[in-house]
Amino acid sequence: MRSTTFRLSAAALAVTALTAGCADRGGVSEDASDYPSQEVTLVVPYDAGGASDLAARTLASEMEDTLGQSIVVENRSGGAGSVGLENLASQSADGYTIGYLPVESVMLGYQGYEVDPVDYDLIGQMVSVPATIAVPADSPYETLEDLVEAARSEPGSIAVSNSGAGSIWEAATTELGQATDTEFQPVPFDGGAPAVTAAVGGQVDAVVAGISETAPAHADEQVRVLAVFDAEPSESLPDVQTATEQGVDIVIGGWGGIGAPAGLPDGARSTLEEAFTEAASSEDFQTIITDSGNIPVNVPSDEFAEFVDAEYARFGELLEGQD
Amino acid sequence: MSPIVEGFSALLDPMILLCIAAGALLGMLVGAFPGVTATMAVALASGFTLSLEPLPGLAVLLTIYVSANFGDRVPAILINTPGTPASIATTFDGYAMARKGKAGLALTSSAFASAWGTLVGIVLLMVAAIPLSRLALNFGPAEMFALVVFGLTMMIGVSGGRIVKGLIAGGFGLLLATVGRDPITGTPRFTFGASELSDGIPFIAAIIGLFGIAEVMNQILVHRKGRGVEPIKDFGRWFPTREDWRTMFKPLAIGSGVGGVVGIVPATGGDIAGILGWDQARRLSKHPEEFGKGSLEGLTAADTSSNSTLGGSVTTTLALGLPGDSVMAVMIGSMVVWGIQPGPSLFANQPDLVYSIAGIMLIATVVALVISVLRMRGVAKLLELPQHFLWAVILVFCMVGTYAVNNSVFDVAVMLVFGVVGLFLKRFGIPPGPVVLGLILGGLAEGNLRRALEIGGPANILTSPIALGLLAVSALALLAPPLRNAWRARRARAAESTTTATS
Repeated sequence: MRSTTFRLSAAALAVTALTAGCADRGGVSEDASDYPSQEVTLVVPYDAGGASDLAARTLASEMEDTLGQSIVVENRSGGAGSVGLENLASQSADGYTIGYLPVESVMLGYQGYEVDPVDYDLIGQMVSVPATIAVPADSPYETLEDLVEAARSEPGSIAVSNSGAGSIWEAATTELGQATDTEFQPVPFDGGAPAVTAAVGGQVDAVVAGISETAPAHADEQVRVLAVFDAEPSESLPDVQTATEQGVDIVIGGWGGIGAPAGLPDGARSTLEEAFTEAASSEDFQTIITDSGNIPVNVPSDEFAEFVDAEYARFGELLEGQD
Repeated sequence: MSPIVEGFSALLDPMILLCIAAGALLGMLVGAFPGVTATMAVALASGFTLSLEPLPGLAVLLTIYVSANFGDRVPAILINTPGTPASIATTFDGYAMARKGKAGLALTSSAFASAWGTLVGIVLLMVAAIPLSRLALNFGPAEMFALVVFGLTMMIGVSGGRIVKGLIAGGFGLLLATVGRDPITGTPRFTFGASELSDGIPFIAAIIGLFGIAEVMNQILVHRKGRGVEPIKDFGRWFPTREDWRTMFKPLAIGSGVGGVVGIVPATGGDIAGILGWDQARRLSKHPEEFGKGSLEGLTAADTSSNSTLGGSVTTTLALGLPGDSVMAVMIGSMVVWGIQPGPSLFANQPDLVYSIAGIMLIATVVALVISVLRMRGVAKLLELPQHFLWAVILVFCMVGTYAVNNSVFDVAVMLVFGVVGLFLKRFGIPPGPVVLGLILGGLAEGNLRRALEIGGPANILTSPIALGLLAVSALALLAPPLRNAWRARRARAAESTTTATS
C-alpha cells in the first residue's frame, strides 16, 4: 500500500514536470521561408481579462488570418508585468514566441527589475491610452489651473490616487508636479478601478488614470476630467481640453505594442510585421479597442523603435533618483 | 410594460437558456477543479462570448460566476481543498462532517445554503441597488482599514479553541503578507530577487498547498505508519431532516446578512465573507464548541455568506460602474465592448437589462442547485477509488490547476512548499485557518492604513464615523469574551461561597 502511494505520487510529480517542460518549447530549426510552420505563442504579462489582455487577444485573432497559424495567448502576470517580460526575453528568437509590450517595459528597468528594452525586437504599436486627471464631481476645482494653484499654496496637500506604486499613472502625477513647479501627493491603490472609486467617493482630491477608466465616470457625472495628457483632444471626452491647451505641456500615457525576443531572423520578422500591420488596421480590431475606450493606432516597427527609445530616456530622467 | 416583465421575458429565448446550461456545466467543473477560479474561467470564456449578442454572452459569463460558487464546495467538503478561495471556510466544518460519515448531508445542505445565499444577493440587487451602491462609496482607505481590523479579530474564532496556537498561526500569516513590493513606495521586501514574489506570495498556490497538499502528505505519512485512515465511503443520509433545517435557520440568516454587506463593499468577495460569516455564526451559536469539528451550523453560515456576496458585487458593478470583485472586473471589460456601460445611468436608460441580469442569475442558481443535488452521488462515487489512487489523482489535479493559474512552475513550487508548511502545522496541531486569514487580510490592512495616512494622516481615520464605529466593534469583539468569562467566574464563586455559607 505504502509503496504504491509513493510511486503514484512520484509519477504525478513527473507528469506535471513533463507537462510544464513541454510548454517551454525549445528552438525550432528550419528554413526561414517556411515560417510560420507551427503555432505561435503570444506572451501577455498580465492576467486574462484586463484591457491589455483584450487588446492582445483581439490583435492575435486578426493576425492568425494573415499568418495562417493559430496564436496561443499565454498569460504570465506578476511583478508589474516583469514576470512575463523576463520570460519573453528568455525565449529563443525564432518568431514562435512573441509578446505584448506595455509602457512598463521601458519603466521596470529603473525600478529594480531585469527588464531592458534592448532585449526585444519591436514589431509595432497598436494601442494608446492617454493619461487623464479627474476630480470628484463636487470638487471645488473646476480647471487644471485651480488644482495646480491649490497644490502650490500647500505643496503635497493634494492627494492624487493612481493604480499602484511605480505605475505609469504615478509617474504622470510626478511629471505633472515637476512641470508645474509644485508637488502632488500620489496615493497608490491596488488597481485602476479602486483608484477611480476613491475619487468618485471623494476620499482623494483627484485621480490620474487612463482615459478608458475616467471617461465613463465623467459621462455619468461621477467625476470631472480636468485634462487629457495627449497631443490632441479625445473623441470620448469632447468637452475636455488637453493639458497643453491649458498651458501645461505634458503628453504622457500608457501604450501597448508587440515585440519578440531580440535577434529575430529577417524572414520571420517581415512576416510578423506584415501580419501586425494588417491586423492593427482591421476594422474589427479598431472597433473593439475604440469600444473599450482606448485609442487604436498602427505604428510600424521603425517608428515604434524610435518612440520606445525616447520613452526609455524620458523615464530614465523621471524615475531615476526616486525610490 | 414594466421593466421587470420586459427584462425577464427577454430571457425566454431558447438560445439564452442554452447558454445558461452551458455556463452552468462549465462553472460547476471549473469550480470543482482546485486552482481554476471563477475569475479565470470568466476571463477565458469572455474571449469566446465577445462574438455573441450581449444577453446570451452575459448568460454564459454570469452563470459561470454563479455555478462556480456551487462547484467549489465539493472538493472543499470531500478532500479539504477549496475549489476556489470562496470555499475556504467551507473546509472548516464541511471536511470534518465528511470525516464523521456525514458527507452526503454536508454536500446537500451546502448546496441549499449556497442557493439561499445567492438568492438573497439577487433580491438585494433587484430592490435596493442604487441606495446600496451609495453606501459602498463611503468605503475609502480609512473605512477599509477599520473593516479589515475587524476581520483580524476573527483570528481567535478560527483557531478552533487553540487560542495560543491560533495566534501564532495568525502572526505567521501576517508575516507572510509582508512579502512583496511595498504597496506605497514599491521597494522590494523579502522577494530575494524573484520577480514572481513582487506581488506577494501567490495566494491560490498557498491555499491549495496549505489545505489540499498538506492533507495528501499527511495521508501518505499515516499510511507509512500502517494506521490507514478510514476513507470517506459512508455518506450517511443525503437530505436534511426537519431537525437539520431548524439548526440551519439561524446560520442562514446570519450568513445572508454578513455576505450581503461584504459583497457591497468594493474589492472584497466570497473568501473573506465566508470566514466572517462562519465566525459570526459561531459567536451567536448555542454550540460554538462544535464549530470546526463538523458543525452543520458552521457549514451553512460559511456557504450562505460567501454566496450572498455575488448579488452585492453585481450591484456595486452595475450601479457604480466599479467592479465589486475580481470576476466583475473582467465582466466589465466584456460589457463595455458590448456597448453596455455599467454605472448610474444604466438604471435610468436600460432598467430592463438590470432585471435580465437578475433573471439570468436566478435561473443559474436554480440550475446549479438542481445539478448539485442530482449529481452529488456521481461525483462522490469518485471517492470509492482505492485511497492510493485517489490521493495521486488529487495531487495531479492540484498541480495542474496551480500551474494553469499563471503558467508558472514557480507557483507549483510555492504550492509544494506550503504543502510541507501545512503538514507541519497539522502535525503540531496548529490550525491553518488563521494563516490564510493573516495572508488575505495582512496586505489589505497595510495597504489601506498606509493609503489613509498618505491622504490625511491619522486624522483621516479618526474623523471617519464608519471607521471609528468598526474599530470600536473590533475592540468589543476582542474584550467581550474574556470579560464575560471573568464575570461568570466571579458570579460562580460568589454563588459557591453563599451555598457553603448557608449549608
